[in-house]
Amino acid sequence: MTAATSAPQPVTAAPGDAVAARVRGLRKTFGATVAIDDVDLDVPAGAVLGMLGPNGSGKTTLIRMLLGLTRPTAGTVELLGHTGWDLAAALPDVGALVEGPGFHPFLTGRDNLLRCAAAEPRLVGDARGPVDAALERVGLADAARRRYRGYSLGMKQRLGLAAALLVPRRLVVLDEPTNGLDPAGTRDVRRVVAELRDAGATVLLSSHLLAEVEAVCSHVAVLQTGTLLVAGELAALLDADAGGLVVSTPDVDDAIAALRAAGAPAHRAEGGVAVPPGPLEAPQIVAALVGAGVAVWEVHRRRAHLEELFARLTEEDA
Amino acid sequence: MTTVEQARTTAPFGRLAAAEVRWVLRRPRTLVLFALLALVPVAIGVGIALTGGPGGGDRDGPGLVAAVAGNGLVLPIAALSLALALLLPLTVATAAADALAGEAAHSTLRGLLLAPVGRTRLVAMKGVGVLTVAVVAVLAVAVVGVVTGWIVVGGPSGTMITLSGTTLGLGEALGRVALVAGWTIVQLLAVAAVALAVSAFTEHPLVVLAAVLGGLIVFGVLAAIPSLEWLQPLLLTSGWGAGTDALRDPLPLDGLASSTLRALVYLVLGAAVTVWRMRRRDG
Repeated sequence: MTAATSAPQPVTAAPGDAVAARVRGLRKTFGATVAIDDVDLDVPAGAVLGMLGPNGSGKTTLIRMLLGLTRPTAGTVELLGHTGWDLAAALPDVGALVEGPGFHPFLTGRDNLLRCAAAEPRLVGDARGPVDAALERVGLADAARRRYRGYSLGMKQRLGLAAALLVPRRLVVLDEPTNGLDPAGTRDVRRVVAELRDAGATVLLSSHLLAEVEAVCSHVAVLQTGTLLVAGELAALLDADAGGLVVSTPDVDDAIAALRAAGAPAHRAEGGVAVPPGPLEAPQIVAALVGAGVAVWEVHRRRAHLEELFARLTEEDA
Repeated sequence: MTTVEQARTTAPFGRLAAAEVRWVLRRPRTLVLFALLALVPVAIGVGIALTGGPGGGDRDGPGLVAAVAGNGLVLPIAALSLALALLLPLTVATAAADALAGEAAHSTLRGLLLAPVGRTRLVAMKGVGVLTVAVVAVLAVAVVGVVTGWIVVGGPSGTMITLSGTTLGLGEALGRVALVAGWTIVQLLAVAAVALAVSAFTEHPLVVLAAVLGGLIVFGVLAAIPSLEWLQPLLLTSGWGAGTDALRDPLPLDGLASSTLRALVYLVLGAAVTVWRMRRRDG
């Protein structure tokens, strides 16, 4: 299954330039449990890469190794051109929200961020400006002077996002950023990700919300039980998975008979008849149906959705 | 791009230390412990005022607290000795527990590691925070002790009558108080270093408190067993009686020096283990 890695990426350019992050042969075991098994992955610079996978598939472990929070059992990590012992040198340019927000309950949201700001190497001078700007950006300006103790789950998540955005970043890593957020919060995350992308930053986003990933990501990587199933450009993956036609008709049985007679593999599907990609092109299929006297309401190309791709990838393995 | 590459990769240490001190001194439980500590000399003072102030009550009971009766500047030293038994170690252990285990429990340790604050610098920054707590705690006891002693007992125009029967002038008496305060801080730093080492291994602050208080109790028990007398030089707490040496004249330095040396050994070992562990710890 690991064969399908990094399919359509032009990542052969100078290392450190074309990729924001790169892992090779990455492996992590906790005792007898294999959390990450021999993963190769490139995060192209400027991409918004969505990392997908069921719970426990190793998304967070992979992110933690990428950021130097956990040591790999084997393999190498490269982050913004830094590797090995030097990995921490990349971190000033990396904003991260990993495993949920972490703040002190007895401080206000703003004071928590000021404490984060004191530790930010890229921040020089008065931290109050950047802190207030970050609070504004995630929609927390009104709650900034309330204690973190009283924050709702969504507000905590927003504060975590604000901490990742305190200074301009080259790479932003967001682990389940929409956890606990209401629809408005989800939209805000989408907007922030778009702003980051437009500013030239690379975004690595892990999520189990497929629609979310489909809406904001240019690339996806799918993990299952520690193995990378597929990685590449979202559009290319969806195109490869798409194809076939859906025919809306009241005469389903007749249509299937007519199509099979014409040499097209057809089967009953929701909304009519599905015709997987086969020897016949769309005009020939329509002609075959009309020729057989089948009433046709509509014929459309089946658009692949990430959800189907994901389901196919993760279920065929199981 | 080149300016980014040349920029610093970690925040200036002064800024980190200042943020840490601000954080430590704003934490409610630290402030509560400071207030409790300030009450120790007040409680002793009130007790003396009630049971037998200067010129009244029975003076023949021996011991430290009795010596305070006519003798205001003995009070801070008595209060420090009393607080060193439990409350002061508890205070620094709390600070050390919050410093690493507490940050891990709140997921804030990860934020510091990702900033990044270098792992060794992180330990140094936490050391500054715990040192601040130890200094403020000891100062709270000493300063409130001096003031309470002066109010409650007054003392014959600010002199100190030593346990040896001689009388010290105000300046020298205050010097003795400062000496005991400094010595107490060093003893507390030894406790703090060990507590930080435990803190580096766990994400449960209570484990640190239990380890420190359990350690104090075990040390006390070991010290009370006659056949284990050879262990005495190794036990941190066995030198903790030396603080009252400051009430003797001339000042015997043996106990103070040996207990300080012992504390420094604990301090170095604790700091080394903390750094070793934090350089490997998962964030």
